[in-house]
Amino acid sequence: MPIVFVPMLGLLGVAIAMMRRHTTVDRPAEDVAERLLRWGVGLLSARRAEWGQAMLGELDHIEGRARRLRFALGCVIGALLLPPWGAAAAGVGAMLALAGGAVAVFASAVGRYGLGDGGQVGVGILLVFLIGCLVAASALVRRPGVALPGLLGGAFIALVWLSLSGFTLYDQIAPDIVPWHPLIVEVVVPFAVGAAGALWARDAAVGRRVARLAGVSAGLGLFLYSTVAVAVLGAGGPPDESDRTVSAIVSDRLGNNVVMLILLIAVTATVGWGGAAAAGPIVARLRPTTDDVSGPSTSRTVVVARGLRLGVLSAIAAVAIVLACTSWLRGH
Amino acid sequence: MQRNRPPSMQAVNVLRALAAEPARWRYGYDLGTEVHLKSGSLYPILVRLADRGLLETSWEPGVGSRPPRHLYRLSLAGRQYVAELTAASPDRTVARPHNRWSEA
Repeated sequence: MPIVFVPMLGLLGVAIAMMRRHTTVDRPAEDVAERLLRWGVGLLSARRAEWGQAMLGELDHIEGRARRLRFALGCVIGALLLPPWGAAAAGVGAMLALAGGAVAVFASAVGRYGLGDGGQVGVGILLVFLIGCLVAASALVRRPGVALPGLLGGAFIALVWLSLSGFTLYDQIAPDIVPWHPLIVEVVVPFAVGAAGALWARDAAVGRRVARLAGVSAGLGLFLYSTVAVAVLGAGGPPDESDRTVSAIVSDRLGNNVVMLILLIAVTATVGWGGAAAAGPIVARLRPTTDDVSGPSTSRTVVVARGLRLGVLSAIAAVAIVLACTSWLRGH
Repeated sequence: MQRNRPPSMQAVNVLRALAAEPARWRYGYDLGTEVHLKSGSLYPILVRLADRGLLETSWEPGVGSRPPRHLYRLSLAGRQYVAELTAASPDRTVARPHNRWSEA
């Protein structure tokens, strides 16, 4: 297992080196308030971009760190809530349903198997963590070009994960893991999602956000399914060699699910970030120049962009089909 | 579809503040300080008013490296709206004590 982290850290190192190489310092230093507000106005839709510039312009004339910070914080809250949400609302609704369902099933399992006060505390901690995930996801889906590839990436990660571990409830309790599986689910797939997101939007920053959203959405979906598996099977499944009680076994399995949720989100975001950074040079070559945009070849650029997106989608679909077939053949 | 709900008390306060000197362009921060609204409440109100055509916006060019600044004043429709609002309920303005949090 530790060998898996060697390529992961290597990729991370490469990504950091590439990002640092492309970093340019051509702006005066920003304080916390300005950085926060720049992040916040990025949540606004293109239709509201002018208002984001209005907030930034106003912040520039406010003196005093505390005043600036309060102004920026208020603007970020306003930007988070300001309509239109468009398709982002559907994405947030889907993740809210997954998170809500997971908490409900988790809490019912805690009650059903008598996990006591420790279990109740676990539900509370899980609730806080999932609320944090949803806030992060709601900010991500509002970023331009992130929602669709991010949610597709999440579905892809979940599909690969299930293809390798197995689709049944029993497989969630006792997955049939072979040594190369972690390499696929923890390195190859998140890296591919980050790179595909960057190529899709022709922007490495969007690729990083796509990876984060994919991690959260896949994590929530798989967590719900594995928690349902524990709630249904309880202490059933493979025989437990120790003489533990049913409550202890269920508590252990629920805890494992929470750890996997955190791990999946963290690994996907981290390795996906590396993938997006690695795709940076290709993105820079694909990005249209000023002449492309203003000249007669604009339509050709659009066609190329569509072709590229179609290619990325086709590649994802092909990999998913191959993995599903592999999984099916392995089962027979 | 645009929904024209009745304006909130805070929106009415903003409209009345702008109506006090309808020809004058105003900055967002100054307006927020005057009506004791935080930026998180003020900007959504300004956006809604602009969407409804009650507000005119303009940009003051930036000086040097400073970014341009957004300016606001009532449009003709906005002035008529405030006049109707005042005729319907002349005492709808709520004055709140100024406190340090309202500066944001």
